[in-house]
Amino acid sequence: MSKLLEIKNLHASIAGKEILKGVDLVINEGEVHAIMGPNGAGKSTLSAVLTGNPAYEVTEGTVLLHGKDLLAMEPEVRAREGVFLSFQYPVEIPGVSMVNFMRTAVNEKRAYEGKEPLSAKEFLALMREKKKMLELADKLNNRSVNEGFSGGEKKKNEIFQMAMLQPCLAILDETDSGLDIDALRIVAEGVNKLKTPENASIVITHYQRLLDYIVPDFVHVLADGKIVKTGDKNLALELEEHGYDGIA
Amino acid sequence: MATMVLHKGERFERVYVNEPVDLHIVQEAGSQVKIHVVNVPKDIKDPKDFKDLKDVRNTIVVEQTGEGCETEIYALAYLHGDDAVTTETHVTHAVGGGTSNQLIKFVLNDTSRGHFIGDLKIAQDAQKTEAHQTNRNLLLSEDAQMRTQPQLEIYADDVKATHGASTGQLDESALFYMQQRGIGKQKARQLLVNAFMKDVIEAISPQNSAIREQLIAHIDSES
Repeated sequence: MSKLLEIKNLHASIAGKEILKGVDLVINEGEVHAIMGPNGAGKSTLSAVLTGNPAYEVTEGTVLLHGKDLLAMEPEVRAREGVFLSFQYPVEIPGVSMVNFMRTAVNEKRAYEGKEPLSAKEFLALMREKKKMLELADKLNNRSVNEGFSGGEKKKNEIFQMAMLQPCLAILDETDSGLDIDALRIVAEGVNKLKTPENASIVITHYQRLLDYIVPDFVHVLADGKIVKTGDKNLALELEEHGYDGIA
Repeated sequence: MATMVLHKGERFERVYVNEPVDLHIVQEAGSQVKIHVVNVPKDIKDPKDFKDLKDVRNTIVVEQTGEGCETEIYALAYLHGDDAVTTETHVTHAVGGGTSNQLIKFVLNDTSRGHFIGDLKIAQDAQKTEAHQTNRNLLLSEDAQMRTQPQLEIYADDVKATHGASTGQLDESALFYMQQRGIGKQKARQLLVNAFMKDVIEAISPQNSAIREQLIAHIDSES
């Protein structure tokens, strides 16, 4: 099993306030890692830093993706290298249609990989196939990105985009929040179908509920900017029962 | 400035693309006006080559002198380099029961300057008038400048009138979202700029679909 992501002593801050205080984590191909922890522990900061959100500053540490210096890359380059974030709060982009947005994203990635752009026909066929998988309506193509989408539609749309882009590392940031049980099932099945021996995911969640559907190989507890405990899926059950107080 | 009189029930509709606009229209009862004023680089791929948007002044004066007139004014200026465009609208509702809608947008790059002057007057006798004026501006450079001077004079008491003016920058969270999907920053910016401009273009009526499609293709050609 080869190393996909290696985080060493990662420190990061926002507006001068240190949030991550030395995170160490190794993720191998084929693995699913859950990151749990109380509010304010730094879970979303970790996803923001890995994807290059300019609001955060890395003050110390290294992150390697397939051995390459991830932190030196622009956000779009990280994405083209296969890092995907399912946003906790997907952004609405009025006036930019899903089809235009997605075609641009897919073809930018293909260009980066030295491939020809998809033809309109090939692209629309791909859209159709992936929409079906997420049980998304046909009219999605001409709607503006996330504009007026319900909470469930927004999260399905994130996983739909993940299916279109086929990342090597998917970070799911509170993907279960605001989902009813049917939407949760569709989203989780989508994530499971996208799993391959070569890719990996980081599932950030508050609750054990999502982990009934997306079964993690490892569960990490993040508290006060550090990983304080690592276990298997049973750790999530323990946390559900006893809370974070006993650990953090 | 030549005065054009629109007689009872007549309709005047026109799209001006990079043409000098100096209009004075007097509307009689039930007449309709729909005007688009579009100032865009001729070759959007290399906007710096376009030299014709220096000190452009668009003047539109409309007077509703009969009942039940409709006036629609759309203006879009997409400016680069040291372009400078002033658009002024003077809409007067002298008689009631009419409507006016104005949507004025400026996109400003580099050291360009935009100026919008919008006078909207609703006379004392112009009851049941509905008038809306919206001015939205996108500043894409710290050195670009926008001046906006809306002026409303409302003397009638039973009217619906709104106006809004805002000048802002691109939504950073939308930019990051697009970059996170692998879209380069420049391309992401262009997609957002095009989205900002699109509603003005899409408001062009179907009978002018040729020019409408041409403009949509024009602003899309960059992305």
